[in-house]
Amino acid sequence: MFLSDAELIEARRILPRQWIQWYHAPALASAVRAGQFVHVRTGDWSGLVLRRPFTVNTADPATGIVSIHFREVGRGTAWLAHMRAGDRLDVLGPLGQGFQVDPRNRHLLLIAGGVGIADLRLLADEAIHDGRQVVLLYGARDASEVYPSSLLPDELEYVVATEDGSVGHRGLVTDLVTEYEAWADQAFACGPVPMLRVLAGIAAGRTKRLGVATLGRKRGGGKPVPMGSPQARRKAFLQVSMEQRMGCAVGACLGCVVWGVDGPQRVCREGPVFASEEIDWEATVGTARPAAPSDRRTAPRTRRAAPAGRAGR
Amino acid sequence: MKARKRVITSGGKAKRSPTVRKIKPAWVGPVARTERPRSTAARPEAATPAAPRADPVAGLRAPDAAADLASGGAAATLAATEPAARPGAGTVDLAVDLGRGLVLENPVLVASGTFGYGVEYGEVVDVQRIGAICCKGTTLRPRVGNQPPRVTETPAGMLNSIGLQNPGVDAVIERYAAIWAGWQVPVIVNVAGESIEDYVGVVRKLDGVPGVAGVELNISCPNVGKGGLQFAIDRDAASAVTRAVRAATDLPLIVKLSPNVSDVRPIARAIADAGADALSAVNTLSGMALRPDRSGPLLGNVYGGLSGPAIKPVALRIVYEVAQVVDIPIIAIGGVAGIDDVLDYLAAGAVAVQVGTAVFADPVLPVRLVDELRAVCAARGLDSYGPLVGTALPRRPVPPSAKGVEYRP
Ligand SMILES: Cc1cc2nc3c(=O)[nH]c(=O)nc-3n(C[C@H](O)[C@H](O)[C@H](O)COP(=O)(O)OP(=O)(O)OC[C@H]3O[C@@H](n4cnc5c(N)ncnc54)[C@H](O)[C@@H]3O)c2cc1C
Ligand SMILES: Cc1cc2nc3c(=O)[nH]c(=O)nc-3n(C[C@H](O)[C@H](O)[C@H](O)COP(=O)(O)O)c2cc1C
Ligand code: FES
Repeated sequence: MFLSDAELIEARRILPRQWIQWYHAPALASAVRAGQFVHVRTGDWSGLVLRRPFTVNTADPATGIVSIHFREVGRGTAWLAHMRAGDRLDVLGPLGQGFQVDPRNRHLLLIAGGVGIADLRLLADEAIHDGRQVVLLYGARDASEVYPSSLLPDELEYVVATEDGSVGHRGLVTDLVTEYEAWADQAFACGPVPMLRVLAGIAAGRTKRLGVATLGRKRGGGKPVPMGSPQARRKAFLQVSMEQRMGCAVGACLGCVVWGVDGPQRVCREGPVFASEEIDWEATVGTARPAAPSDRRTAPRTRRAAPAGRAGR
Repeated sequence: MKARKRVITSGGKAKRSPTVRKIKPAWVGPVARTERPRSTAARPEAATPAAPRADPVAGLRAPDAAADLASGGAAATLAATEPAARPGAGTVDLAVDLGRGLVLENPVLVASGTFGYGVEYGEVVDVQRIGAICCKGTTLRPRVGNQPPRVTETPAGMLNSIGLQNPGVDAVIERYAAIWAGWQVPVIVNVAGESIEDYVGVVRKLDGVPGVAGVELNISCPNVGKGGLQFAIDRDAASAVTRAVRAATDLPLIVKLSPNVSDVRPIARAIADAGADALSAVNTLSGMALRPDRSGPLLGNVYGGLSGPAIKPVALRIVYEVAQVVDIPIIAIGGVAGIDDVLDYLAAGAVAVQVGTAVFADPVLPVRLVDELRAVCAARGLDSYGPLVGTALPRRPVPPSAKGVEYRP
């Protein structure tokens, strides 16, 4: 983790309100791992007090170029979209834990919802470089939001689902997963929480459905590994990249937690990548609808029993 | 030369203290080099930027300061032993004494909750150059904190409702005290609780632990319904918790004021009278934000604490009001984002500042502020920043803001 003074080399609008920006930041390009993110400071005249987190979309240590892919959703991203080539950006990173790929795995399934593809892009590059086979399932609302295949490596199999069926499968990207779950050794996902939760459900039922859990060599030799450790994440079928509003992005403020089965987990430190079984999905989906203020010391695990959102009104 | 008077704040019932102790040098310009009272054990209540406190140059003092000088005989003694040096000749000394021997190298601290335990920023920040670190609020038992989302940006500021997530005082000591003990920078443990026993329990455990330089009582955290609010808005409770903690420890004791009260002065007075070594002001202002679709509150805890530049005018007003009624050092907190904010707070009577929210955008800001303050002093030919303190305070006490801002009789 360090501060970089990154120079914008090129910015391209790839989809409506979606941009990819390439920056010259050599130290970052060498240090970053797939799934890690940077915390970006908007300029003083933006009037904003917090940095904005973005996953590193691609990184090339040879040229020292990193890119971010973002959707313009508010003031911070609007400011960023106004950057021009030659402008400089104050970037803190690389931050957080990246994806954990088991070196023995050949088949990787990547599942992206919308701009969530930004989190998986570098992983795809790395996996292909390491000679793995990669399938990318991508979900969007309609054809206008489908990620251009020209931006993807040729070696990757790209499968698209749109909600209105204007391109590819009609429906949700999660519909496509069962077709690939037997093929895949590991899966990696990023997108809206409801999507991730469905995927977590699929992942949880997978071993049972496939009936392969006890066959063959047990990975990790059966030794218990602590939840959240890199080994445990490598062993998990599904890793998800989570988002949360952030303050510091270095683990200091405890602002960015999501609810895990072991209590609050900092997205910026323990995450943003988690094994899907580390997350308490009920509580996490529930927090989209906050309940009344609580003075309970251990509120969250019990909170989800209550119909969320009602007490607040 | 102006001096501060105590103000009767509550229907004549408040105790009046006959002496006005705080000296506020109003001149700006060359002053004689003074010795900082490094050991204040004998008179632990004496604390403010060391130089003006112990200013031995009686001729430059205001007439009503003479009485103070009489009680501060130590200063005169120091003057006799310390040869006067030329201002600007040496380096600027930014040291500040917050009482009970808590002497900081410089007056720029980092605020509780925004700098974790001092280790999180790693190589990015040279923590040894900060005046002191106030760690995350620490409670007797572990707390898991509030439901997410816990933070969001608001106009010129942010809301947080962390809910005092922390591993509990035992774990804090176990994990961090040894690290802190190896540091040059003092670490002040921010303490929170739901009862006086909680506060006392935490402080007892911290007492005597190497690496713990002092405690800051968070009696004003607006996040936890029961936790802090009660003490900070209630003069008697604030005084009682301060007194209880004071009795339990000899650690330097800072009490952090809440801005969420109509008149902060009686509370500040009560805390000072109960034995606090210093006050810090302020904690966050209670606020809220809505979800983008306006279907309800955005934060998981509904309410959050507002911080950042948005609260600076409020914090400045509180520092200014409190500085007129207490004679213990005040550490200003609220929206410090640049050297002008530091100078404003000093002028309003604070002797030090804490940087909170601004650290998120600019982690190296506190260190830079130290350099900038030194440069300001050097440019004005000062060898300490003491002369910058309290310059904006009124000659005569002004009516409190609680009496109305627009309408004046
Ligand atoms: C680890 C991580 C990686 C991310 N990577 C990407 C990426 O590669 N591409 C991309 O387009 N977006 C990404 N996001 C989301 C991105 O940070 C937000 O879209 C962005 O902060 C919105 O800022 P704004 O000022 O435009 O929006 P506003 O809505 O005006 O922001 C208000 C506040 O809420 C925060 N906020 C709003 N939405 C989000 C969100 N979804 N996640 C976190 N904070 C949010 C902002 O940071 C800001 O503090 C990532 C988020 C995280 C946590
Ligand atoms: C994320 C966050 C967490 C905080 N946690 C604490 C805390 O645990 N204890 C405390 O006394 N103050 C806490 N505060 C308040 C700050 O210490 C400070 O008083 C406040 O933010 C105002 O200063 P600022 O405007 O410089 O941020 C917290 C503030 C923020 C933003
Ligand atoms: S953003 Fe501060 S702890 Fe994660």
